[in-house]
Amino acid sequence: MAKITIPFGPQHPALKEPENFMLVLEGEQISGSTINLGYNHRGMEKAAESRTYIQNLYLIERVCGICSHSHTTTYITNVEELAKAEVPQRALAIRTLIAELERVHSHLLWLGVAGYEMGFETLFMYTWRDREQVLDCLELLSGNRVHYSINTIGGVRRDVSAEQKAEVLKRIKFLEGRTQYYIKLALEEPTIAARTADVGRLPPEVALERGAVGPTARASGIARDVRKDEPYLLYDKLDFKLITHNTNDVFGRLVVRALELVESYKMINQVINNLPEGPISVKVPMKIAPGEAVNHYEAPRGEDIHYLKSNGTDKPERLKVRAPTMANLQSVSYMLEGGWLADVPLVIAAIDPCMSCTDRAAVWDQKKGKMAVYGWEELRKLGIEHYKHRGIDFSKL
Amino acid sequence: MTEFTQEEKIKAALEAKFPGSVTNALVQRRNRVWLDLAPAALPEVLAWMKAEGFQYLSTVTGFDEGENLGACYHMNNNAMLVTVKVRTPRAKPEIPSILAVFPVAVSYEKELEDTLGIKVLGLPPGRRYPLAEDFPVGQYPLRKDWKTEDYLAQQAALLKSETK
Repeated sequence: MAKITIPFGPQHPALKEPENFMLVLEGEQISGSTINLGYNHRGMEKAAESRTYIQNLYLIERVCGICSHSHTTTYITNVEELAKAEVPQRALAIRTLIAELERVHSHLLWLGVAGYEMGFETLFMYTWRDREQVLDCLELLSGNRVHYSINTIGGVRRDVSAEQKAEVLKRIKFLEGRTQYYIKLALEEPTIAARTADVGRLPPEVALERGAVGPTARASGIARDVRKDEPYLLYDKLDFKLITHNTNDVFGRLVVRALELVESYKMINQVINNLPEGPISVKVPMKIAPGEAVNHYEAPRGEDIHYLKSNGTDKPERLKVRAPTMANLQSVSYMLEGGWLADVPLVIAAIDPCMSCTDRAAVWDQKKGKMAVYGWEELRKLGIEHYKHRGIDFSKL
Repeated sequence: MTEFTQEEKIKAALEAKFPGSVTNALVQRRNRVWLDLAPAALPEVLAWMKAEGFQYLSTVTGFDEGENLGACYHMNNNAMLVTVKVRTPRAKPEIPSILAVFPVAVSYEKELEDTLGIKVLGLPPGRRYPLAEDFPVGQYPLRKDWKTEDYLAQQAALLKSETK
């Protein structure tokens, strides 16, 4: 059969972000692929060099809409290391709490996207509805749903009160129950197995060779997690398991993420119940002595690594950011080869590239010929009422 | 320095194995080792490190120091990060490719060529990354003498002449 090369992206309905895959097809089967990136290059590393350390905090937060806390934490870990600042334990605990809430939010989002890509839209609706609980926790603690801005150089910007603790624990308890259901669903639902088993295979030796990180690597049986390998924040004091799976396919990636949710809930409980007392930040001078630091962090998608060089002024000399998707995309071209064209969106989604979301909607009322804009509260109320009719009552939360 | 046994071990091994090439090796703190390397020895040293358990090349950071351009290769064995730094003169910046050792480094090497103008010897030709296809050739935005304001002024002038 003749080989045909087709472009997939940079603008394609199945892709959430601009990237280009050149797929070589033999019929419906993929025999080769190359990935082209750079469509979303924003010049942040250059921009960082002309901004102060504190301004960069807000720039770096916007590297990614979902791992916003991951990037700022990696960045300020470097800044604090160079400034030789002793960050209070309570600040580290709050950072850990936000980090795990972020992981929960990201993994639930991924479960939804995966469900959507495999045509299981009920799963998408369920997980994104439940994800609102964790977004509410983040909003409660930080004042924002996606860009929490909880970090500041030398500590965190907001303390956690007793009421907030209780509220977060209540929501996490609810999510624990829901996650048990998702795990059951992932392991027992025949549609999921049919759609994900043996799709996007990545054997351990290839994952190692191609430098896969995070859940993508762990689903290929590689026990690689910065939280265990080089514990940062409070991870050396927390009790959690490193989750791996050995099916090397999309199914494994689904199981790893679902089980990691349980570990994150465990950690959130531990952090909240043993929050150290004390101040939440220390003063750090604006100017930072010359030096170099490199730190990594286990973001929801895998290892995030930053390099920072200071030159004695209040602006960095050089900042380098390597996000986990960059490392994982190298594995995608392997996963695609030999697979079917129809599985492409799912395989790409399985490494969890990111996308952003919005919190209001405009609805056109055809009968009245009027536009109604729904705010967050109204939309939420509408959602709750809708599910009440179907026998699922969330109004207690 | 007895508390950093692993770090001291890898530092000593590198110094003993590649005398002359490895200089200024430093154990900065727990799990962090830094060293300078002669560019010619780069593929050989990284291959040796890969065999010694540093299976991951986390990323490559290009930099501009004025006289010299260069790159940091952040080697990772999960816990420990060893940063291998090579420098090359600005007048003729060249670094050997490490694709034979780490095939995944292709986008990192393209980034060095695109953003800093460091010629990576042995990198196969192909589409540019990460800059846009219509970004002017021969401009290297991560060099310190490249100013965003100049570029924007240049683009604005171009746009004006096009609209006429």
